[in-house]
Amino acid sequence: MTTLTRQDLNFGQVVADILCEFLEVAIHLILYVREVYPSGIFQKRKKYNVPVQMSCHPELNQYIQDTLHCVKPLIEKNDAEKVVVVIMDKEHHPVERFVFEMSQPPLLSISSDTLLSHVEQLLRAFILKISVCDAVLNNNPPGCSFTVLVHTRDAATRNMEKVQVIKDFPWIVADEQEVHMQEPRLIPLKTMTSDIVKMQLYVEERAQKT
Amino acid sequence: MDELYLDNIDEFVNDHDKIVTYKWLSLTLGVHVNTAKQMLYHYLDHKRKESSAPLHATYLVSGKFVDNGQTSHKVSVVKEDQLEDVKSKMSLIVSVHVYSVQKALLKDSGPLYGVDYDAVKDNLKNCSRYSAIRCASAVPRSSVELQQARHTQLAPAPEPEHKKSATNGDATPASKPSTKPQKGIMGMFANKSALKNQDSGKEVKSEQKEDAPVVDEPKSKPAAKANPMMNFFGTQAAKKTVKQEEAAPSSSSAEQQRPSSQPEETHAAAAAPPKNSKKDSRSKTKRLEDSDSEEEKMDKKKRRRIKKPEPDSSDEDVIPDSPQQMETREASPSPKKKAEPVSQSHQGNCEMKMRKKRRVLKSRTFVDDEGCIVTEKGYESESYSEAEDDVPKDPIPAKRPASSKPDEKKSQKKASANSNKGTKQASIMGFFQKK
Repeated sequence: MTTLTRQDLNFGQVVADILCEFLEVAIHLILYVREVYPSGIFQKRKKYNVPVQMSCHPELNQYIQDTLHCVKPLIEKNDAEKVVVVIMDKEHHPVERFVFEMSQPPLLSISSDTLLSHVEQLLRAFILKISVCDAVLNNNPPGCSFTVLVHTRDAATRNMEKVQVIKDFPWIVADEQEVHMQEPRLIPLKTMTSDIVKMQLYVEERAQKT
Repeated sequence: MDELYLDNIDEFVNDHDKIVTYKWLSLTLGVHVNTAKQMLYHYLDHKRKESSAPLHATYLVSGKFVDNGQTSHKVSVVKEDQLEDVKSKMSLIVSVHVYSVQKALLKDSGPLYGVDYDAVKDNLKNCSRYSAIRCASAVPRSSVELQQARHTQLAPAPEPEHKKSATNGDATPASKPSTKPQKGIMGMFANKSALKNQDSGKEVKSEQKEDAPVVDEPKSKPAAKANPMMNFFGTQAAKKTVKQEEAAPSSSSAEQQRPSSQPEETHAAAAAPPKNSKKDSRSKTKRLEDSDSEEEKMDKKKRRRIKKPEPDSSDEDVIPDSPQQMETREASPSPKKKAEPVSQSHQGNCEMKMRKKRRVLKSRTFVDDEGCIVTEKGYESESYSEAEDDVPKDPIPAKRPASSKPDEKKSQKKASANSNKGTKQASIMGFFQKK
């Protein structure tokens, strides 16, 4: 029942932890549902009390973890505006983009005991929505790969370059080719509003995929 | 029956893209479950006649199933295309009804559980309000009785039949009765889960794969099944995993089960998280697991406390390291053909107290039976020190000792892999040289 504010760094870290955990699960689930990798590498695990599919491949897991490890400081400071999981075809043109838009209220405060379980419930709804998103999306062409882009507010990336969070895991400014998608179709999936974060998930899909 | 239900379901399925299970529908609309099932069936029928957007449905089939002479009552949730197949395999079909209707083709059963989770949670006190399963003598126990029950549960369970009948009327998601006998260990877990566990245990062995988990159960506790795989894990959690094997092969994570089984399961889960078997045992992953668990088996022989080496379990790795070094140290002076790097690196081992392990993709070159030199790549556990200055000197790669290497490598994998260049052999003088 304490009231913590953003100045309390611990709380910012808690929120960032929650979001990064969620993003990790979400990325794995997107890779599974959109069949970016063969489903044999995925294994059922539990998160938020529901079954989710996570990959067992060590390098893939490491890549995703490193990515999110670098994103975490941005989320802590509320610099990350969007985290985008882009699925690209063989020619590296984006085919689908799962956009997680997030923003944190300037004055965060926990004022209820059930906050975390409420957040868990909302995140569970996101997971469920990702699981059924193939109802509204067309199939991807074979041989797709994925990447993660982060859109930041202002010039936060300048700080990132100065401090390399993980050695040998540099972040570079994305090419126009990877960011821009031809004739995107927007499909909203889910939004959530809670005391600690507001998040929106939508998918941009290219009109013609093959 | 209100005729608007068709529109309601239509709204849920098409506009909201929801997965509509019969249980969720009954709780949402406030109708009896049987009514909900009929509603779904009519809706499906109606929509199929109109032949508009494609709809997918899952069905629940329950009946008697004969497996190698053993009759069991099997309850499974199957996709529509497998329905006829499953029905034909059953010797007697007790019930078939629509389980869920959705627009998306589900790849696995996970979301089905997620759908019901929140609905049941909201109605926890009376989620069986619309249920068809009733038992007049089932009343909640008083706290005194509960305590007594907990004490007696620690001893092997006395009467599984009593438990069964008590469970049926429970105010929790319906569990269909099972005719299978309970094992003594089952008493460790909550009553209801025991039934489901047995059900799903048999299920795995049957042909149904991921699309046919026991109803309401697709769970993903990593400490789940594949009983054959568990045999490979001879770790500290061995006893617990054995119990798990018999008792909770599949992960039915009904909420009640969690408190009591959590300690065991988190142990087993910590034991080998990535290795632990999946609920959907696909042949590909089974093969992967097979090769991985072979290595694990070798490891387990030597190291009773280490599971698959992970960064966060490095602390554990420190302690068992020393006993192993002792063993191999004694062994090394005697056989001449013993690979030199093994002994050399052990000396290094004893000096460096902090050793960590990691799995490294290494290629081993050795001479096989036919005298051919074979290079094999594989994940080997390598022990490395923090300072990483422990490079054994292996000047002369010898091919003849290499023939004995494969066997020794297998039995002392961690030690032998300590030499960073696993493919080179040291001269015999290397044993006497101190780095």
